[in-house]
Amino acid sequence: SVQSAQHSRELHPLSGKAATELSLHSLRDMGFTDIQAQQIWESVSAIRGSSAAKQAMSTLTVLFGLGLNPSSVLKLLQKCPEVYTIKDSQLQKRIGNLRKVGLVEGSLQRVVAHYPQILTVPVKTVKNVALFLREKCLFTSQQVTDILRDCPAIVHEDLAQVEYKFQYVYFRMGVKQTEMVKARLFRITLDEVRCRHCFLERRGLYQTPDKKGQTAIINPKLESIFKADQDTFLTEVAKASIEEYDVFQRLLAKEWQEEEQLYGNIEAE
Amino acid sequence: EKWAATRAKHPPTSLALHHFDAKYSVQLGRLWPSVRVALLSERKYGALLNNFSSDAVLANLQAQGCRDFISDSDAEAQSCPEPESEVGADKQEESSDGAMKKSDVDDQQRPPFLLSRNINCAVFPRGDITRFKPARPDMQGLLGYYLMDAASVLPCLALDVQEGHRVLDLCAAPGGKSLALLQTQAVRFLCVNDSSVSRTQRLRKVLRRYVPKEFLTDENIRITSFDGTKWGEIERNTFDRVLVDVPCTTDRHSLTEDDNNIFSKSRTGERRMLPKLQVELLLAGIEAACPGGEIMYSTCTLSQIQNMGVVEQAIHQAQQNHGIHLEVVDLQLVTNMFRKTFHFAPDLHLGVMVVPHLAANFGPIYMCKLKRMT
Ligand SMILES: C[S@@+](CC[C@H](N)C(=O)[O-])C[C@H]1O[C@@H](n2cnc3c(N)ncnc32)[C@H](O)[C@@H]1O
Repeated sequence: SVQSAQHSRELHPLSGKAATELSLHSLRDMGFTDIQAQQIWESVSAIRGSSAAKQAMSTLTVLFGLGLNPSSVLKLLQKCPEVYTIKDSQLQKRIGNLRKVGLVEGSLQRVVAHYPQILTVPVKTVKNVALFLREKCLFTSQQVTDILRDCPAIVHEDLAQVEYKFQYVYFRMGVKQTEMVKARLFRITLDEVRCRHCFLERRGLYQTPDKKGQTAIINPKLESIFKADQDTFLTEVAKASIEEYDVFQRLLAKEWQEEEQLYGNIEAE
Repeated sequence: EKWAATRAKHPPTSLALHHFDAKYSVQLGRLWPSVRVALLSERKYGALLNNFSSDAVLANLQAQGCRDFISDSDAEAQSCPEPESEVGADKQEESSDGAMKKSDVDDQQRPPFLLSRNINCAVFPRGDITRFKPARPDMQGLLGYYLMDAASVLPCLALDVQEGHRVLDLCAAPGGKSLALLQTQAVRFLCVNDSSVSRTQRLRKVLRRYVPKEFLTDENIRITSFDGTKWGEIERNTFDRVLVDVPCTTDRHSLTEDDNNIFSKSRTGERRMLPKLQVELLLAGIEAACPGGEIMYSTCTLSQIQNMGVVEQAIHQAQQNHGIHLEVVDLQLVTNMFRKTFHFAPDLHLGVMVVPHLAANFGPIYMCKLKRMT
């Protein structure tokens, strides 16, 4: 983190004045326009707790230290005002950790700007997720980095669910880690994964490969199934109407619910 | 580990799926994926209303969001059997091969085609996946409705049962269609038969739960367990209407239940013999009908061989071996009237077929109506 502090000082001369009190004036000095400064001022005031105002200045300093410009800093804070309340030392540590798991300059800024909630997560949690992906799902370190970059929200997910999703795609769909990363698998919910897959399978458009990895039909790429929005998925991959998929989703939800009840009953017996 | 295959290697359901993929992807083309996913997902039912029950069953079901698809059918379609555009297209095509005259003659001679009266069947709207609750008995103990594939009602409707008819239901168990026929209260005499004794027992029970005793006298109804293929030897030229609802590959059942599955290895021989049995049953039904009488052939499979193939063969053999001339009755009206409720297969040259669709997951039901000319 010493390194990163140095790094940020180089990037932005303001880092030295971290202790300055929050004021419209100081905000304008940092490069915010009048309107932006007003917006920051109001959002900080809205946060309860006496330290917020003092904390805010150092938060802003850290964020500028990352090389973000005023308007992305503003957007980030509007998305996740919780960031104001994090101590600057914490923030530095968390950012340092993201670098450690492989997010290089550029990626790091994009992740933080796009998903600032990642800054609210303790270092340990991010480390656990990375470890989990490596050890339980056998992703390579590079793949783990890619996952954190493309699907940062994974740090907030229940790892049991993540494992289930991984196993579903690995065993049930017969697809390897590389494809999962490309498909940005961890961006969509488990239900959506199962639903799209089952829909294709029942339409005869997807088959689980046998032990030798063979199928009688050519499966669509995982990327085309999961990366596209629903409309594209329907018209280009499933070749079905929205009406059909809508009914199917409801039917499948009912099937799952009944399966769960069934297993519940068996366990209770 | 979680997803390791624990099932048998080749359960009958997957053999069936394999078989259907090969056959129906060719037969139905682009339609097949959509039919396939529907077949593999929960089906929809219809509630055949029991007119013998004293409860206000329909009102009750309507309050739950159902509609009687029969009284709620496309009334306009009834007055003009074929949309003009289609007639135009037909004639153009036919005139090119010089068959236009024939089509004109057909138009004039087409018998007035009517639906059996008093049959009502409630369904939940398109896309609605609500299930029916089990029917409840009224004060006399009669149940208010019978749950069946709503498309199964169509062959009974299109059989056009009229006052005083003598009707034969050759393969009747468990009795859904017999019950629909009885709803018309037009049948003078109904003969219900099924070669399986145990299934005939079930049919008796069904009738007792739905029809008052006074309608089940020996003068009204006869329940038998004969081999239907022999009917021509027993009772020829007798019935005004004959329903031949044959055993078939029961596509939906074959895809979902491993028990009692016609695609199990041990039943391969039986399965191969189905088309032959179906032809024999239809021929027996044709013989049982009186001249001028009408015969409805129906199945719950999509198979071309078991549907049109069987009808073609039976027409041929009836002429060749029995000197019976048959005419195919146009059922276009049925597709026009009920297209709001069912998906019909396009371009069938013989008969009508309801194909499953997720939003209207009924069928498959195939039906073809024949009229005995001699
Ligand atoms: C599709 S099911 C009939 C369903 C019935 N019509 C209904 O709507 O409830 C076919 C029936 O044909 C019967 N069957 C099979 N072979 C037969 C035969 N040779 N003669 C008469 N019935 C036969 C079977 O026992 C079975 O009940």
